Amino acid sequence: MKNKNLSILLKGLLTENPVFVLILGTCPTLAISTNVIGAIGMGLAATAVLICSNFVISLLRKFIPDSVRIPCYIVIIAGFVTVVQMLMQAFLPELYDMLGVYLALITVNCIILGRAEMFAGKNGPVKSVLDGIGMGLGFTLALLCMATVREIIGAGSFAGIEIPFMKDYTISIFQKAPGGFMVYGFMIALVYAVTHGKAPRKKEFSCENCPSASLCSNCQKKEEA
Amino acid sequence: MKKYLRSIISLTAVCAIVALLMGVTNYFTAPIIKQRENDAANEALKVVLPDGEGFEKIDISKYTLPTTVDEAYSEKNGGYVFKMITAGYGSNFVIMCGIDSDGVVKGTKVISSSETLGVENEYGDKLVGVTVETVDGVDTVSGATKTTAAYKNAVKDALMSFDILGGKEVDIRDEAQILADKLNAALPQGEGKFSKEFISVRIDESVSAVYKAENGAGYVVVLGEIFVGVDSENKVVTADVDESTKTTATDTAKKLESVTLEELDITNLTALPKQIQKVFVTDEYNYVFEIRCAGYGIEGGNQWHPASGEYIFIKLSLDKENKIIDCITVSQGETDGIGSVCADESFYGQFAGKDKTNYSQIDAISGATITTNGYLKGVQAAFEAFEILNGEE
Repeated sequence: MKNKNLSILLKGLLTENPVFVLILGTCPTLAISTNVIGAIGMGLAATAVLICSNFVISLLRKFIPDSVRIPCYIVIIAGFVTVVQMLMQAFLPELYDMLGVYLALITVNCIILGRAEMFAGKNGPVKSVLDGIGMGLGFTLALLCMATVREIIGAGSFAGIEIPFMKDYTISIFQKAPGGFMVYGFMIALVYAVTHGKAPRKKEFSCENCPSASLCSNCQKKEEA
Repeated sequence: MKKYLRSIISLTAVCAIVALLMGVTNYFTAPIIKQRENDAANEALKVVLPDGEGFEKIDISKYTLPTTVDEAYSEKNGGYVFKMITAGYGSNFVIMCGIDSDGVVKGTKVISSSETLGVENEYGDKLVGVTVETVDGVDTVSGATKTTAAYKNAVKDALMSFDILGGKEVDIRDEAQILADKLNAALPQGEGKFSKEFISVRIDESVSAVYKAENGAGYVVVLGEIFVGVDSENKVVTADVDESTKTTATDTAKKLESVTLEELDITNLTALPKQIQKVFVTDEYNYVFEIRCAGYGIEGGNQWHPASGEYIFIKLSLDKENKIIDCITVSQGETDGIGSVCADESFYGQFAGKDKTNYSQIDAISGATITTNGYLKGVQAAFEAFEILNGEE
């Protein structure tokens, strides 16, 4: 039992990393991974929202009828995002200014909605919190990896501290969207190579774990088959 | 039906709980957020008033403040920060000035300026610690007189505004305005337009200056602090003036009104200094000279700032003892803001009463040696001309 909980916690970091393996939350990953500080801030903010929403959703999973669960999840997630946003504006204004609109967009970050659907809606509160921590840290780690590469190569600094040699030879495309896609692609390949097939194949998690699987006629057909 | 109802209730309940959660968070964070936003806005104000807290903008339209005051902020401990817009060498010279509750300048900062030399950025440090009493004692910077004087005056205006906001009666008129008001009070018929009269003959020594109404309504004779208006019929119009002062004023006005100047033919007087352009003799047999001096406009200039090519023209009257009665700069083309100070009364007014032994003991124009030297040579030429003319006679 303990081992299983641990594996729930750890799988988010690498084998089921939400960004590199599940390919969720691509938009904030590309947008916020230009500098390390912003990446960590964004990752932790999303983690906080993910833990809270996972916990609440798993508590309410029996109370919320299936037909309105998506709106309920969205309301809960949006509520936590707003709370985090207000707290951040009050206590971490620099980070709040840096994240800008992407903070509000955590609401529609598909990692959070995805985990609510895939995990919290089917499991108990303890497991859901562990899943939230694991997935949140996995997201943070992914952002951090992306941001480290992009900031060092693109801006010649790390966490705002200039690196003597690199700052004279910055490749600014790494700060822009194309550089983000390139780094993203390499990272996915790297993670695939490292996990060496242990990571779930795309087809293994694709349809049945999709947030809208139950609404998708294609998927239902598959299950029946 | 039951299924629908349950959906509605659960969604409503979730929404209500989330709304409550958000409301509670907002209740605690909203004051902090507002405080932070205020602090950010006050950051600029803190630079000039570091100990200030809780700044609030004041509606300055309720007060009669100097026109340079653009915005004013009060602070919890009784200090104020003023945003001043003034004109230095260029226009739109914006300064912030912080004053603490004791009326001491705690900091000044240039927000924007189009000044040429950049002196203003350091000059503010000199003004830290001054009060309304001591601000006049701060020296301007030579070579940037206009800029620094404008800076100083703006800070002075801020200090006066501080007193006004503190409820004190303050005279916010500048010197020119005070003079104009005094002249107008002495001779209302002058309709506020007066020009300083050039005095060509020796008049009573107690008279410090004479102003002529531009519409011909008469003169204002200044005896020390007393301004006496004399109308065109040589009657004193100012009340509360004693008889002897009245007589002095009317005599002065009469004398200036009736003085006649006769131009001398100097074409044969080749010994006269070259600066002397014209010589007049008054009906009291003293001389008035028109002098052309070579200042920076002629002698100065460099490859970057060519000289203007204009002479300084002065008018100077000497009494029979070879003493200067009056001296005035008629026109000049010196460097604006530097040598052009020679056209200010503060400069040429120094020569009245001087003779050839002490005429050079005046405050030179700072940063304008060539202008000052040229001017002094012109004055010296008048003394030489006096001796030559008397020797000829």
